[in-house]
Amino acid sequence: MRKRLPGFLLAAPAWAWLAVFFVAPVGMVVWFSFGYKPSIFATQATDRLSFDRYAEVFSPTFFATFQNTLWVGVVGTVLCFLIGLPVAYWMAVKAPPSRRGLLVALVMVPFWTNFLVRTLGWQVILSPDGWLSTALQGIGFEPLAILNTRGAVLLGVVYNYLPLMILPLFVAFDRVNGPLREASKDLGAGKWTTFFRITLPLAQPGIIAGVLLVFIPLMGDYITATVLGGAKGNMVGQLVASQFQTAQNWALGSAMAVVLIIVILATVAVGAAIVWLVTLPIRASHRLVIGAPATAPASASIHEEVAA
Amino acid sequence: MTTATTTEAEAATTSSPGAEAPGTVVIDAVTKHYGDSTAVDRLSLTIEAGEFISLLGPSGCGKTTTLRMIAGFEEPDDGDIRVSGRSVLGVPPYRRDVNTVFQAYALFPHMSVAENVAYGLQQKRTPKAEIHDRVVDALDLAQMRRFADRKPTQLSGGQQQRVALARALVNRPSVLLLDEPLGALDRQLREEMQLELKLLQSRLGVTFVFVTHDQGEALSMSDRIAIMRSGRIEQLADADTVYARPASAYVAAFVGQQNFFSGTVVEGGTAVDSTHALVRGTSAGLPAGGTGLAAVRPEFVSIEADVAADASGAANTARGSLIGVSHLGETMQYLVRLGDDQSLIARRPSPEAPQLSVGDAVVCSWRAESVLLFPADDAASASGYVAPPTV
Ligand SMILES: Nc1ncnc2c1ncn2[C@@H]1O[C@H](COP(=O)(O)OP(=O)(O)O)[C@@H](O)[C@H]1O
Ligand SMILES: [Mg+2]
Repeated sequence: MRKRLPGFLLAAPAWAWLAVFFVAPVGMVVWFSFGYKPSIFATQATDRLSFDRYAEVFSPTFFATFQNTLWVGVVGTVLCFLIGLPVAYWMAVKAPPSRRGLLVALVMVPFWTNFLVRTLGWQVILSPDGWLSTALQGIGFEPLAILNTRGAVLLGVVYNYLPLMILPLFVAFDRVNGPLREASKDLGAGKWTTFFRITLPLAQPGIIAGVLLVFIPLMGDYITATVLGGAKGNMVGQLVASQFQTAQNWALGSAMAVVLIIVILATVAVGAAIVWLVTLPIRASHRLVIGAPATAPASASIHEEVAA
Repeated sequence: MTTATTTEAEAATTSSPGAEAPGTVVIDAVTKHYGDSTAVDRLSLTIEAGEFISLLGPSGCGKTTTLRMIAGFEEPDDGDIRVSGRSVLGVPPYRRDVNTVFQAYALFPHMSVAENVAYGLQQKRTPKAEIHDRVVDALDLAQMRRFADRKPTQLSGGQQQRVALARALVNRPSVLLLDEPLGALDRQLREEMQLELKLLQSRLGVTFVFVTHDQGEALSMSDRIAIMRSGRIEQLADADTVYARPASAYVAAFVGQQNFFSGTVVEGGTAVDSTHALVRGTSAGLPAGGTGLAAVRPEFVSIEADVAADASGAANTARGSLIGVSHLGETMQYLVRLGDDQSLIARRPSPEAPQLSVGDAVVCSWRAESVLLFPADDAASASGYVAPPTV
């Protein structure tokens, strides 16, 4: 406990930052969500507190939007993970070490342009009269009909969020050093066993970071879905934004935001529980507990005396 | 008769399995390049079953590369490696009957000590009860039973070393490869582990291939020592031979300490005439007229105060001034300056060490029997080159 104190103090600026820019705004949103919109000219009031806004939130349209958001969020995150995992592994383990810096820079290239601009770029590429569609028609294909579908939304999601998955995974794989993998092979494990028993478990912090970095912002994102999914791209983020900006009903918008936060937390918890449960029998089969010896071997106790 | 001959001939043309006992390692003219540099250069070495052999040499001479080719982490560019009589070229590490103790131990940090040791057995689908028993045995062997359920990060360096040993030996390999396994330990622990490793090896009868750059370690543990230089083996012999009859100046300099004298070969190849001494040996091994190296170990050099007025240059004596005296415990070490470019080290057992002080004029002498003569050699050519003292 005494050792932790200096670390805690060193982290004080970080805690202050967290308090001012995270805890305070979220606290206010929660507070507003119990209020109401008193008149068309006011955004919110909290002199009367109730759960009424939450009752308002759970309308059938909201449910459909929520379902859609959750679907895009989960499927998008899973896709990013499935694509990002081999890419990050290849970058960290297989690619020549001298090229790794360049590869990381390439992964970051999309970040050099604005989020909205690069999503609009995909709209141009995917539109039925865009250059891709024209080129495909030139070699005898039907005009592209992918824009305003869930497929287009997922494409945009993968494109926009993949780097956020790859980078933490890359760092994690890079940290599982070569000798550990070699030791595994030396002890008779093939490359798949080595991956699942050594590399992947040791990369766990990176996996968690990557999944959260993609899933959480994705659940609040509506630009990707609106630009590429059109009317089919209804996302909760959009509803929240329209309550705050168009309808000027901060109370209802706050209630929606709170529900969104709760759903994100619940989904993460359920996901973690599923992974934990699925891997439970595998982990149990590898566990080996020996326990303390009934009597210490004579040689060991002699050894201890010598050391003492 | 005829059939027997045919079978024999056939056996000889194939790689004749059975001729090499389990645990034998044959390295046959193996070469390994990294880009333009050659890490291992047509190296040939036969390691007998149950032998404790050390690969000894300075950093960068190709020891690790050789070991990694036996383990299967690198493939030779040329040549053949056979383990227990069977070529292992193209055989992945996980199918070789060989285990490695890695330099930095490479213990799996997310598994307990027992789980680390069990890992290899789990790969072979060993029944659970048997895994438990064998893990316990291996941990007892390494005296690590008490720490079975700890994580490797909760262990000291020496304890991690023991776990790494148990993790390799539990698989009962016929060959165990060790890459500078004691390098990270402090001196006392290292010497303790040297003894233990040697005992363990002779008890188990497993072939040990031990890589080290520490000549003391190699001398104290090995049945035979292969001294490596630039990817080749300079000498392969037991410790006594390597120490008393080094095959080259390089070996002489690397194993133990030497005083080197460089000069013209005279007296029909039996002596070297250097600036500060005429060094005479007992055998004629060098072509007369060329340059040669004479070597004398510090423990063969006796030293006394220089009282004789005449500075006549008798053979195997050298005059100079004492510039350092150090107490090494059982011996006293004297550092003598012979000239600007040459100094000499003498060591005497403490009880019979002469009382001399820094600045005294001294005369050093040695017997012709203790002189080794070598052709001039790049690695030890600087006159007065003395290998770093052994710690
Ligand atoms: N993976 C590698 N890539 C390039 N060069 C290497 C590699 N491994 C070893 N070398 C080179 O091969 C030579 C022998 O190295 P090594 O076998 O590690 O020597 P030692 O173990 O005796 O110190 C050295 O010159 C080293 O620089
Ligand atoms: Mg090495």
